[in-house]
Parts: sequence; structure tokens; C-alpha cells
Amino acid sequence: MYITDLRSISPQKTYTNEFLKGELVHHDGIIFNVTEPDYMELIPRGLLRRMGKAVRMGVGTGLPLIQNNKNIDGILMGTANGGLENCIDFLNQIVEYDEGMLTPTNFVQSTPNAIAGQLALMDQNRGYNTTYTNGGHAFENTLLDALMLFEEGNAKKLLIGGIEEISNYNYNIDFLADHYKEVAVGNFDLIDSLTKGSVCGEGSNMFIVESAASEYYAKIEDVEQLTFPKEKDIELCINSILERNSIQHSDIDTLMLGMNGDIDHNIWYEHVSEKLLPNTNVLTFKHLVGEYRTCTSFAVWLAAHILNGETTFMSSIEKRKIDNKPIQHILIYNHFDEVNHSFILLKK
Amino acid sequence: MERVFVTGTGVVSALGIGVDSSIAKLRNGESGIGSAKHFTSKYTETLPFGEVDLSNDILIDLTNCSDETGVSRTTLLAYLAFGQAIDDSKLTSVELKSIRTGIISSTTVGGMCHTDELYTDANLKGEPSEYVRSYGLGEHTTRLIKKFEIGGFSSTINTACSSSANAVMLGARLIKSGRLDRVIVGGSDALAKFAVNGFNALMILSQNPCKPFDKNRDGLTLGEGAGYLVLEAESVCQNKKKLAEVVGYGNANDAYHPSTTSEEAFGPCYAMQRALDSSKLNVNQIDYINAHGTGTVNNDETELFAFHKIFGEIPAFNSTKSYTGHTLAASGAIESIFSIAMMNNNELYTNLRCSEPIDTYGIPQILEYKSGVEINHIMTNSFGFGGNCTSVIYSKV
Repeated sequence: MYITDLRSISPQKTYTNEFLKGELVHHDGIIFNVTEPDYMELIPRGLLRRMGKAVRMGVGTGLPLIQNNKNIDGILMGTANGGLENCIDFLNQIVEYDEGMLTPTNFVQSTPNAIAGQLALMDQNRGYNTTYTNGGHAFENTLLDALMLFEEGNAKKLLIGGIEEISNYNYNIDFLADHYKEVAVGNFDLIDSLTKGSVCGEGSNMFIVESAASEYYAKIEDVEQLTFPKEKDIELCINSILERNSIQHSDIDTLMLGMNGDIDHNIWYEHVSEKLLPNTNVLTFKHLVGEYRTCTSFAVWLAAHILNGETTFMSSIEKRKIDNKPIQHILIYNHFDEVNHSFILLKK
Repeated sequence: MERVFVTGTGVVSALGIGVDSSIAKLRNGESGIGSAKHFTSKYTETLPFGEVDLSNDILIDLTNCSDETGVSRTTLLAYLAFGQAIDDSKLTSVELKSIRTGIISSTTVGGMCHTDELYTDANLKGEPSEYVRSYGLGEHTTRLIKKFEIGGFSSTINTACSSSANAVMLGARLIKSGRLDRVIVGGSDALAKFAVNGFNALMILSQNPCKPFDKNRDGLTLGEGAGYLVLEAESVCQNKKKLAEVVGYGNANDAYHPSTTSEEAFGPCYAMQRALDSSKLNVNQIDYINAHGTGTVNNDETELFAFHKIFGEIPAFNSTKSYTGHTLAASGAIESIFSIAMMNNNELYTNLRCSEPIDTYGIPQILEYKSGVEINHIMTNSFGFGGNCTSVIYSKV
């Protein structure tokens, strides 16, 4: 399937063109917040006020895509947590007002499917509509579903995306669950950090994907996911992707790895980049946007721009450079907390 | 293209554990709705619930997971129903571990049913609770994968109350696409203060057990439970017991309002029509519909209008939520399991508490138990917040 349009709200200036022109946002703490656009031109004030951050970011990225691309056959979103801030605001009211009479806005806004639902409403889109919440595989699930909808002949054009918001609450919960570093490092030192834990990121990255296109950013060839894999499963998985797409190891010129600065997580990435695909360029992306469960959606956004010939920002994401040949294939490999592993193959 | 069969089911709800004991109650018209004994909320004094009458401690015993920490009630209910489904289908450990075996689950509250612990953890009000890694919606799926050693694709869906119907749909599509040989699909939701207070704020909870499709209905009753179905490709289940074939499914968005269905019932109509189109069945071949039938004024009116628009002459239908309450993400799977058993038993179960049935289009509501009824094709509806609507059609094997 072909990426024919895309939008990103991230901790970098990706909503406007500054990131692609080489301007980088430095983050020094543990929390990498997005640079939110001015939504006022896009979303009516009354509606905007009721939206939680996840829905706001989702509409901010999805609505321009809907406006610029007519006849979308369906909307597929991936979000592990949805609007968690609204959710816990509502929960706090339940506890603090001892289950008194509450207003339903937070409740309705907090359901993870509120983003795909809101976009369907704004587009008057009565097509296929779904929301995946499968932790570190939520965005990957949308990719596979979209590939199947195209294969089945039930769609030609879809809106897909991955969204996660940072709220104090989910930061607190993941902090208690030991996901984050105790001492911050600057984001450009993150990948090579020698300590445990990562940093907390967020974003909304959305794509118009089509079954056929003459002009496009990149082609998404395949997606594979593994849960609790053993080391040998990783190799088997790469081999099956290569076989299914009739390409060789040598055709994969570039790996994009989900290294997140957690020293305990690197062993998986090193296995792939040093043992299984040693002759590849290696790119990283989480120092730009932080770690979150659907951040492979940002990796796909980045990979699509690279395959479309954007190079200005390359020096900020290169970890290993083999040669200067134009990049033809990017294989994204990511895992969240060593549990959810995934591969996404993109082609020029 | 592969045909997709249901080769095992497992269920736990207010009607108890297992398909057989649940069906016995459906046959006798015994509702599971009543006063909650285990759920803690101030609303248990005033509202009825469809509670699973098992404490967390008993659920831990029944599912042999006392060695795990932080297992949420949502996960415990899932363990119980999931285990039954794979036993019913007699899946071997080799089959479960295969990369060609997948799992698709669903939930709306996940570990957030442990409201007080979540409050403490999210607001840093004390030491981390045992549930600190258990709140996420994908968490119960990850635990199912680990406990039952599922080798292949996994997914978790949250399209609110249509979640597990979408799990059935995605599972069937994965098999038809050739990507999986078998997939266990369904969902689980425990009673949660979060949902009770949310639905209460929307003023759609009834003070009395729900009365789906009755003129005097005044809201829904919340329930809890889990349901899982084993779906297998024809090529890998040739010599096995087959409970039903998944022949059609349709998904649509109503694109009208976050929490109410449009008067025109766009979403329900498209979901049912797409399911019929994919099944290649005619409307007059559907012998029974398990309605979404929550008992709210809005749902039952719009769903009935959608039946009229799609079917003209509406087939016999009921809402088994009058027995279990609304089990949210689990409802699509639980109601599929009840409907399949009903089809195989050639029985129609009573829509409870429908003393003054809405009669705008005649009275196709099932008002009394019937046996010896030929039922070959059934439809089940699940509609959710966010406009998410899904219908699934099963045929007798």
C-alpha cells in the first residue's frame, strides 16, 4: 500500500516544515512534549475546549488529511491509552466526589475510540472504522488491517494513524512501573546512554494509504509482530518477511531501530543490526520523539519522508552509515518493553 | 478462500460459568441481573447489576494464577472463558504455540476496574499498587498470550460496545486471508466504577433490571463477563466438532454523535447490510437476530427502525442483555456464543421484561420460549459509543 499523504504532531516541529528543513527541538528532561499547532483555524472553539489532548492531536493531524483527500473508505486508529488524562480526571472526580453526580464529557472523551469516532463524524464517514489498543502493537494492527482491506478489495483509500498523549497520570503510572530514567540525559545523548529506563514521548502520526497510486511518498510492503519472542524467532521473522516480499538480505539497505536509551533493551537491536543485518545503514528516532507505545507511527512518517528523498535531517538520526547510495528499503524494528516486537518494511 | 468455523466457545457472565449452565438459564427465562455482592460502588445500593457471582479470590483459584501478581478482574474473567474455549475446541499445546495461531481480545476498562489502586498510582499517593503494570487495555491480552502460550498474531480492540464483534470479524478475515489457521477471539470487561459513573452521568442507567424493546424501557443495566470463540480454517478442523460457520460481517460508523445513534440509524443499517452482502444471504434467510438491545430509549428505537429498513419483515429477535446486563466489550462475543447455542438447539429464548413490547413493526420480539424451531442463519448486532457498529452472521453447520 502507498502512503500518499501524511501529517505528524510530535515533539519535533513536524506539523510545519521546520523539521524537514533541519531544525531540531532539544529536549533535556524525561518528558518530551509535542509542539502543538494552533488548532483554531481547524477546530471550532467550543468543540476544541471539550477535547482532551489525544483527541485534539488526533483531529489536528487527521482533519487536514480528510479535507485534502476525498472518498476515504475507512478510518483505523492505534492508541494504547487513548485520552488517559480525561479518563483519570473523571476517575479523580469519582473518588473525590464519592461517586456524586458528574458531567459525562470526560468519560465520553476518554474512550480510545473517540478519535476515530470524532474523525468519522467530521468527515461524515460511514465506512469501516476501528481502534486498536494493543499496547506496543496498536499501530502495527492498523497497518495489517489496512493491508487486508486492500487485498479484500473492500477499500481503495484509508486514513490510518497512531496517537498517544502524555498526561501526568500515565507518566506517573509508567514511572512507578520503572519505564523512565532516574536522571535525565539530553535527547542527543539518549541513544548511547548507559543507564536503565527511557524517556516519555507522545505524538499523533497519520497517513492516507491507498491500494494504488502513481505519486506517493513511500510504499508500505509488510508488517510483522511478535510477542515474547525468543532470539531465534527474530531471525525467522525477518526471513519470512524477506521471502514473502521476494527480496534478499542485501536488498535491505537501511534499518530504523527503536533504541530508546534503556541499556537493558539494546540487546535485541544489536542482535538485528550486528548479527542479522550487519551491512545496513542504521537510523534511530526515539531521541527525537521519546518512547511511547505507538511511536512506530512516527518511524513510518520519518521513513516515508526519507524514501521520498528528504535528507536534510539525516545526520541527526544516523547511527551507522555504510555508503551514500540512495535508500531503497527501510526495515523498521521496534520493541516495547521487550514484550511487543514489530517489523515494518517500507520501499521507495 | 478458506471457510471459517467456530470449534469452541467459553463464557462467563451473570448467568454463570460455561455455555451449558448459561443456556439452561436462558431456556428457563432466569435472569442473572440482581444486587451486586462483590463489586464495590455506592450505586450497588440503588442499581441492579449483571455481576459474575465469584469473588476475585475464587476466580484466582479457578484459574490457577495465585503465583501471578496484579491480575485484574478483567484478566481473571478472560482467563476463565479463554481456558474453556480452548478446552472445548480441544486445542493442543503444539497448536496453541504455532505462529499460525492468533489471539484477538478486547476490553473497554482493562485493569482500570481497580479504581482505587489506579487513583493512588496515577496521583502518586502512595507506594505502587500491585496493579501498576496492569491498567493498560492490551495488558489482559499480553497475559493471555503468556498463560496459554499463544504463538502468533495478537490484537486488542476497543471500539467500545462493539469491540468483541470486531474481534470476531478481524479473526475471520485473518483466516480467510491465509495469514492464520486459527484464532481465539473475544473480550472481557469487569464491572468498574469508571463505567458505572460514566453511564450514570449520561443518564442511561435504569433503576430496575433493563427492559429491552419494551415501551416503558428506561435505560440499560451494566454487567460484566468474558466470552471467547475459537475460529479455525476449514483446512485445519476437518474432523472436529463445528459449532457454526462465520459467514458474514459488516462494520460501519454512524458518524452522528459520540454517544447516541442517529434517528436514521445509518451505522446499524450499514453494518447489517454489509454483513448480509458479505454472507451472500438474502434478508429472508436470517432466522433470528440477537439485538444490541441495551434497553435505552435511543438504542432500541433506532435499532428497531434499522431492522425495519433492512429486513422489511423483521425476523424473530431478542436481547440477551435482559439476562446478563450490558457486558460492554465482551457483549459481542458472549451474545454470539449464546446465539450459536440457540441455533444448534433449535430454540428461541425469551426477551425478558418485555411486558408492553414496542409494536411499531408488529411484535417480532421473542416473548416466550419456543423449541423445535428451524434456525439456520443468525445475526448478532453490537453498537458502541463513537458510532462504532458491527454485525456478524453465523450459519448452522
